[in-house]
Amino acid sequence: MTTPTTTAAAPSGSTAEGRAPKNPRTGGRPRDGRSRIRRHLPTSPWLFAAPGLLVAGAFSLYPFLSTVTNSFTDRRTLIAGRFVGLDNYREMLGDEMFWTGLRNSTLYVLGVVPALVVLPLLLALLVQKQIPGISFFRSAFYTPVVASIVVVGLIWVWLLDERGLVNAVLEAVGVGRVGFLSDQWLLLLSAMAVTVWKGLGYYMIIYLAALANVPRELHEAASVDGAGAVRRFLTVTLPAVRSTMVLVGALSSVAAFKVFSEVYLMAGPDGGPAGEDTTLVMLVQRTGTGLSGRAGYASAISVVVFVVTVALMLLVLRADRKEDA
Amino acid sequence: MPISRRTARRAVATAAALAVFLPLSACGGDSGGGGAADASGKIEGSITFQTWNLQANFKPYFTGLIAEFEKKYPGTDVKWIDQPAEGYADKLSADAAGGTLPDVVNVSPDLLAPLAKAGLALDLDQAAAKYKKEYLPGAWAGHGIPGMEGTYAFPWYLNTGPLFYNKRLFREAGLDAEKPPTTYDELFAQSLRIAGKSKGRIATLANIPTIEDFGRYGVQLMNDEGTAFTFNDAKGVELLTKYKELYDAKALDPQALTATPESAGKKFLTQAVAMNPGSALDLEKFRKDAPALYDNIGITEQISSTGKDNMYVMGVMVNARTERTPAAVAFAHFVTDARHQMEFAKQVAIFPSTAGSLDDPYFTKEDGTDATRVRIAAAKSLKTAVNYTPVLMSDQMKTELRNAVARALQGKESPKEALDNAVRACDRLLKQS
Amino acid sequence: MNRQGELMNGHRDGPERENGGGNSRRGRGNRESGRRMPGWEIALRYVLLLAVLALTVGPFLWQLSTSLKGPHEDIFSSPPAFLPEQPTFANYSRVAETIPVWDYALNSLTVAVANVVTNCAGAALAGYALARLRYRGRRAATVAFVLAMLVPVEGIIIAQFTTMRELGLNNTLVGVVLPLSVSALNVLLMRNAFLNLPYEVEEAAFVDGANVWQRFARIALPSVKGTLAVVAIFAFMGAWDDFLWPLIVLSDPQNFTLTIGLNYLHGTFANDERLVAAGTIIAVLPLIVLFACLQRYFFRGVGEGAVKG
Repeated sequence: MTTPTTTAAAPSGSTAEGRAPKNPRTGGRPRDGRSRIRRHLPTSPWLFAAPGLLVAGAFSLYPFLSTVTNSFTDRRTLIAGRFVGLDNYREMLGDEMFWTGLRNSTLYVLGVVPALVVLPLLLALLVQKQIPGISFFRSAFYTPVVASIVVVGLIWVWLLDERGLVNAVLEAVGVGRVGFLSDQWLLLLSAMAVTVWKGLGYYMIIYLAALANVPRELHEAASVDGAGAVRRFLTVTLPAVRSTMVLVGALSSVAAFKVFSEVYLMAGPDGGPAGEDTTLVMLVQRTGTGLSGRAGYASAISVVVFVVTVALMLLVLRADRKEDA
Repeated sequence: MPISRRTARRAVATAAALAVFLPLSACGGDSGGGGAADASGKIEGSITFQTWNLQANFKPYFTGLIAEFEKKYPGTDVKWIDQPAEGYADKLSADAAGGTLPDVVNVSPDLLAPLAKAGLALDLDQAAAKYKKEYLPGAWAGHGIPGMEGTYAFPWYLNTGPLFYNKRLFREAGLDAEKPPTTYDELFAQSLRIAGKSKGRIATLANIPTIEDFGRYGVQLMNDEGTAFTFNDAKGVELLTKYKELYDAKALDPQALTATPESAGKKFLTQAVAMNPGSALDLEKFRKDAPALYDNIGITEQISSTGKDNMYVMGVMVNARTERTPAAVAFAHFVTDARHQMEFAKQVAIFPSTAGSLDDPYFTKEDGTDATRVRIAAAKSLKTAVNYTPVLMSDQMKTELRNAVARALQGKESPKEALDNAVRACDRLLKQS
Repeated sequence: MNRQGELMNGHRDGPERENGGGNSRRGRGNRESGRRMPGWEIALRYVLLLAVLALTVGPFLWQLSTSLKGPHEDIFSSPPAFLPEQPTFANYSRVAETIPVWDYALNSLTVAVANVVTNCAGAALAGYALARLRYRGRRAATVAFVLAMLVPVEGIIIAQFTTMRELGLNNTLVGVVLPLSVSALNVLLMRNAFLNLPYEVEEAAFVDGANVWQRFARIALPSVKGTLAVVAIFAFMGAWDDFLWPLIVLSDPQNFTLTIGLNYLHGTFANDERLVAAGTIIAVLPLIVLFACLQRYFFRGVGEGAVKG
């Protein structure tokens, strides 16, 4: 990053630098303008992208290729495997735990994503306005994001325990005690609640960045037209953050499908009573890690997780494009 | 490495080509290994010693131990590495696969078995047979692997402990708090009584039965050859049927299906559960963290139908591929010899695995405190105690058993069906390992 | 965190942000917030803010309270006691006595700062290339980053370790940083930020003869400060919180990071909840402080970058 600044300071530089933030919105992206900045040194784009590509290649894509090849072997953690063709995939089809995992990971996406698309937006609207003390609230709302998931898990287990705070309240108001941590469905719901709770601040930030981009003139114009807060939200804010909502939807659905920690900490390493809350990534971890891990079989499940997340991503993006049209 | 090629595009292509054969050769499947199995050479050179979560509390002990060793054998240099509690198996897996396993490693039997099978643990019956007689015979034999010749780790510390119970909760159920259960029948009857009197609010047990519970109940866990599991016999089904009864009556905590030993321990601390297994160390914890409980604490012996308590064992193995076999073997023995185990036992409530150590006055002479009473009782029971958990039982197999037990307790499967399924799943995993 | 200071900064934030917003906006009213809010609305907002506050920080206050409880205080009583009877900082000094917590924190800081630098630089460069530069293979490069983001890490950790060992970087802090050093997610975030910038500005610079590096460093980069701040926070957090990878790649305790070191507080033979709680607070506090400091900058940055049409 230091290289560019050492090049001779073009007189235009300072002007442009000062101009960037002040640039008045001329509305719309000038598509015809693109062609004019096409020319550049032919090697520079690759130089720009090289560090990122090298890291992505060496530490994500390349190791994942070995996961793919492993998925066709019966490799164990410490014992080299033999090629077994599609055996692992065939075994998966007959493995009840695999279907349980697929079901739970899918439910997790359906339960968590709508909440994570909507609630952080509302929260962002709440903290967007400059009122005294708002910086404090913003930072405070961000704390669950920075807290380690292990701590978060411990705290919530304590809160939702049979004799925890939540049950004490429920008992006091006459609802009676609820087995949040013993029923398979309530456990899954509790884990989802923790995911949403922990994700609120994270996506709030992304929304805040987007909200800051909403031109205030639009709000003013709408106000002059006599639109109420709800109308303004629907006609001005929502369209402006729509692409961000898609981004949040895509990121949160991928993260939700790959959920591990929350369920692991709330439902225990076995994934709830009789493993009924196991998610796919938990299954990868359980079957594949440790000194007697079945790396081959776990790799096959990993490949399925990967394929499903790619499909999810495409699905969200496709839905976005359709709305666009 | 593809890294050295500058163009990213080519790197990906190279990676794809390499990936086909690299992963399979990356780890050690071939047994034998680089280091000489002969430990008779000169004791010298630098070795690495890895322990499991002992640094925070016992740093002076280990630095002293190492200094003593280095002084006794000039020319040696021991580097001590301590790993934290979590992720130890993952750490060992990566090191074993990457060829970076330390020379001397602290392992539990379930971690030892896969390492020995992969040819990474030195056979001490060959390399260090002369030390065998220094250890309790059971402890030495406990580091053998069924289906394999040899012993693969020096026995280190043992642990066992009593059963703690909450006298107040026993009294409130109209039971005699001075007469805790001593047999399984009494345990089950009193648990049901406590649950009944408290209308299901107070459970007596917080954990579902584990493999060692089956063992203690007198179930035969594996066949003698170590080739198949057998815990689905009549006794096993009987135990699980009993637990189902307790679960239905809430005498077994409703959250037991998702409990871990830690969460169960916490339930006992909050006085939501009437009994919990523990060790002498827990007494201090009760006193500090839960004074209300400490005032009502009762201590009794483990319940078993076999007359043999359960014990946990720790071992110290020597990396079969070490380049310093004599020094590594000498150091592993040095750590686990009678004198040093005794010193360690005086630092923390664990028990030595060396022959005769348990007859030391430290383990036989009462001084009137609860801690000493617990220690003496434990030392006595250790003379006959067994590590019930089969060393061949991997984490994955334990999960199969826990899930089967949970299905039976929920009534989704009968106890017999559930255990049959678990045995089938465990046998399949056993064949693959 | 200094609550009072934060509140005051909150006051100060408003006008500063307006300046950041640019001259052209001045005097045109302060967007929605320029409109005077009715009293009831302000009250409602504070009620909502306080409710969310209770939900988000309540659990941490409990952890804080446990870490301040003295010995022989019942920390497992039911119903639980929220306030320590004999508040003490002794647990914090005990953490420092039990483990070399400052050494671990320094390692964590090194790793986290390095990760922030590499991610901001690497993701900005790559994001710029993906968003702005025209060349063959751009689409393929974008797809590569998307795929890298989707790879499930649980299955590849041993392969990563093997690679690191072949590079001779196991047991070094460089080895800890490298796999996270340019996260694909951050690259994509930066790409989106650059995509949202209007072309006219760069075009003008192009006409003035600025080359691609100059356009990147002087024009494009200052306009996406807000996203850079987000990347910085995510990068710091990711490195600071990571447990399994540093554990696997590091062997030498003197290189251990804070998350690993704090794990020693879970004793082999007995657990002291107070120590664990104090350790947790030590681990979380720097992150909250960092965010509190950066967030002002972050909101200003977002304002500056807000030239999207």
